[in-house]
Amino acid sequence: MKVSVNQLRRAVSRAGLWPLLALLLLPSVAAAQNNAPAAPQATPPPPAAPRSVNIPKPVEQTLKNGMRVIVIEDHDMPLVSAQVIVKNGGEVDPPSLSGVADMTASLLTKGTKTRSAPQIAQEIEALGGVLNSGAGWDASRAFVNVMSPKTEAAFTILADVVRNPVFQADEIERLRQQYLDSLSVSLNDPGTLASYVASRVVYGDAAYGHPLSGTPESLTRIKREDITALHAKYYRPDNAVLVIGGDIKAADAFKLAEKLFGDWAKPAEALPARGQVGKMASADDKQRVVVVDMPDAGQAAVVLARTGISRTDPDFFRGIVANAVLTGYSGRLNQEIRIKRGLSYGARSSLDTRREVGPFVASSQTKNPSGAEVASLLIGELGRLSNEPVAETELVPRKAVLIGGFGRALETTEGLVQQVASLALYGLGLDEINSYIRNVQSVTAADIQKFAGSRIGAAGANIIIVGNSKDFIEPLRKQFKTVEVIPFAELDLNSASLRKSSGEGAKK
Amino acid sequence: MLRHFKAFLILCVLAVGLAPSARAQTSVPPINFRERTLQNGLKVYSVRDQSSPTVSIQVWYKVGSKDDPEGRSGFAHLFEHMMFKGTKNMKDEMIDRLTEDVGGFNNASTWDDFTNYYEVVPSNYLETLLWAEADRMAALNVDDKNFKSERDVVKEEFRSRILAPPYGRLFYAIEKRSFTTHPYRRPGIGSIEELDAATIEDVRAFFQTFYRPDNATLVVVGDFDDKQLDAWVDKYFGRVPKPDKPLPRVTVKEPARTKEQRFAEYGPNVPLPAVALTYLAPPVASDDAYALRVAESIMGAGESSRLYQSLVYRQQVAAEAFASADLREDQGLFVLGAILASEKKPEEAERALLAELKKIQDEPVTAAELDKAKSQLLTNLVRERETNNGKADALGRAVVLLGDARRVNTDVTKLQSVTAADVQRVMKKYFNDTNRVVINYQAEASKAAPQNAGEGQKGESR
Repeated sequence: MKVSVNQLRRAVSRAGLWPLLALLLLPSVAAAQNNAPAAPQATPPPPAAPRSVNIPKPVEQTLKNGMRVIVIEDHDMPLVSAQVIVKNGGEVDPPSLSGVADMTASLLTKGTKTRSAPQIAQEIEALGGVLNSGAGWDASRAFVNVMSPKTEAAFTILADVVRNPVFQADEIERLRQQYLDSLSVSLNDPGTLASYVASRVVYGDAAYGHPLSGTPESLTRIKREDITALHAKYYRPDNAVLVIGGDIKAADAFKLAEKLFGDWAKPAEALPARGQVGKMASADDKQRVVVVDMPDAGQAAVVLARTGISRTDPDFFRGIVANAVLTGYSGRLNQEIRIKRGLSYGARSSLDTRREVGPFVASSQTKNPSGAEVASLLIGELGRLSNEPVAETELVPRKAVLIGGFGRALETTEGLVQQVASLALYGLGLDEINSYIRNVQSVTAADIQKFAGSRIGAAGANIIIVGNSKDFIEPLRKQFKTVEVIPFAELDLNSASLRKSSGEGAKK
Repeated sequence: MLRHFKAFLILCVLAVGLAPSARAQTSVPPINFRERTLQNGLKVYSVRDQSSPTVSIQVWYKVGSKDDPEGRSGFAHLFEHMMFKGTKNMKDEMIDRLTEDVGGFNNASTWDDFTNYYEVVPSNYLETLLWAEADRMAALNVDDKNFKSERDVVKEEFRSRILAPPYGRLFYAIEKRSFTTHPYRRPGIGSIEELDAATIEDVRAFFQTFYRPDNATLVVVGDFDDKQLDAWVDKYFGRVPKPDKPLPRVTVKEPARTKEQRFAEYGPNVPLPAVALTYLAPPVASDDAYALRVAESIMGAGESSRLYQSLVYRQQVAAEAFASADLREDQGLFVLGAILASEKKPEEAERALLAELKKIQDEPVTAAELDKAKSQLLTNLVRERETNNGKADALGRAVVLLGDARRVNTDVTKLQSVTAADVQRVMKKYFNDTNRVVINYQAEASKAAPQNAGEGQKGESR
């Protein structure tokens, strides 16, 4: 099936997808929790002894030019994935040129010295492969997934697009227009718009504050020189990692890496220093409650957002377990908002850890009149997490969710590569995939309570609602002293003020 | 965000047909299944695969949105949600305790022709989950309070899918406008009014009518012992009684279309107009489906596809263009569509789509295109089979939708043998001017000045 026509047809799942899989040295939750009547089949049969999971072990080499190459073998299916990560992304966008890193990464597949954009698409698709590129926070990526007999042909194209993009003017114009068009769609979607606004509220004018794919204003300002300069500065072997996973022998993978990337010259000048992302909004800053008034919105998108932690924070595992208590199908947010009250199709949170302090975001969509109620439920759950310890009977299953999801992510070659690439990006030990389960298991209820209070407390949380404000503004004003209401037409994503009238002058 | 936009439009999950390239250097590993039928009519398919210590358990019921009772559109889907509430021996949401809480997951989805429920768990929980699926097949225990609360959840799902996203109403309209007679004319997500009309008595009646072993297929894929599996299946599912009443089936046929029909549809917050052309297509199990899958791929899969190259890349008339073979048990749809690039007019996109259609009817597709399509279909198929749950999906579709489990393997060969002449023949057969519904979708604001759609929207959106 393809295309959203069928998204609808599949009148759909009970839930967007929540985590899965794995080993589990857990007690029989099933048996423990059933005290139903004593008919012959009234209680579920208990689990058998668990079987252990083998987590594949990554191996690595560094090429002479400084490019790190990591391989993880997995021969279950005849598929291979590879990813080139360049260790900078949207955070290096100059303030007036937001979106330039993402455009640069997207343009990789739109023409090289020897292949035009249509040729690249034609060649990779003839192999049955998928080739994609784009920028995230902290990294730009190009990745390929193909059946293993076609590995070399596909990797050759991958290397070509990373090393030899030409950034032809007509391709830039075409892509710019596509970005502007898709942005016009995103800005009309309450959920997506709320997430853009949330980033500005949390980071203000600092680097993680802008939409990754730019704003209508910044996109029109980006010139070819901005793109080629960004590529020259950051796309270099000593700032890149190649991760290969799947049905390929490590020795063959290293040979191929040497052949395709070994002569990628390292520039003479030193790598640019890792810039600070800039001053982050912090808990001391004034908490903001921002409403974007969109009178025709089919639902209100409600977001709670604040600063969280960086990926290398010693609290990382305490943080992800705390977040797992809140999110997931049976997480507290979905319990309170969907399961108990029927207010939404789903509620979730994410602790988005990055090189610098990333955001913690909790969100849900609800009918407009329930917007304020959902906001107070989100805040309430954040408060509860720091006010009282999580009971062991709740903590054990929430850790299981996390561990299961982790195991499942390693089931596909793409997932395997992604997990390892993310460790490499932040300079973490690759053996973390082998100690992940132990690290999660060691987190205690006291750890979570402390983390919740000190790192993601409700006091520093901002609220953003995009929707039909007249349906929820009164109760919202009763909850919060100051509520900023910005009409949709006045919204400006280019500055922390979020308003065209005041923001326009400030930005250039 | 470009990537998000695309993910929204080209959500690629594999449907039924699958094809390796004639020149493919690798073949799709076959799915070696075992098959049994219990005395009560339950069909059981299993595949032992010990590559990970997990197991996927799926129960497919042959009841879908087309079986929604009259005046209750959206009911089969609402009912699916109720299957996670109490049963004879399980409290509300206990399925989550048995799956999510032990590191697994569960979900379910309602389609036009069937509904499937599935769990993936560590394999030592297999017996537990077989017990649970048998328990909810045997008896539901719903009360009015959780029925109403879950109905509110489904209404929010309707708002999240249809009312909030800019193009939600377009896809709703495609369903509504493409059929005149067959129950497929009622979108599976339903409507707020008809969801509100549903009662707990409807839930009980629906359960008794359709949720029975002789209307179900159990699929188990993963880490287990065959004999042990059979014994557990006999023990837990064997005792679910088979009712005497016959199963009602939809027999209504959608009449052939006799002339082109055109509809104008509107939504708020629509920054770029869209156009969709729908054609009635043959049933998913028909022989023509193979060539239609190949055509779908050549027209719409990836950036080298004809629609992308022509409408998005060269003419730049569309921000996004798509081709979708939405094949079903009865007559389905083949949809061609585009979301316009800014400043472009719907008639330009419609003309461009029709020109591509004429081209694929007039000239055979090239050998390279044919090979590419087969290679893409083959690789998608292998990707789907990376997980136990993906393998179970493929097997379940073959049994329930295609009526023959063996097709999970034989379709591969069939698709491989599709020729350029086959593609041309089916494109000529189903795509003609009288078999077309055209849907023009634009911003409410453009209603006043339809001539000026592009300009109107801009004002609206910013």
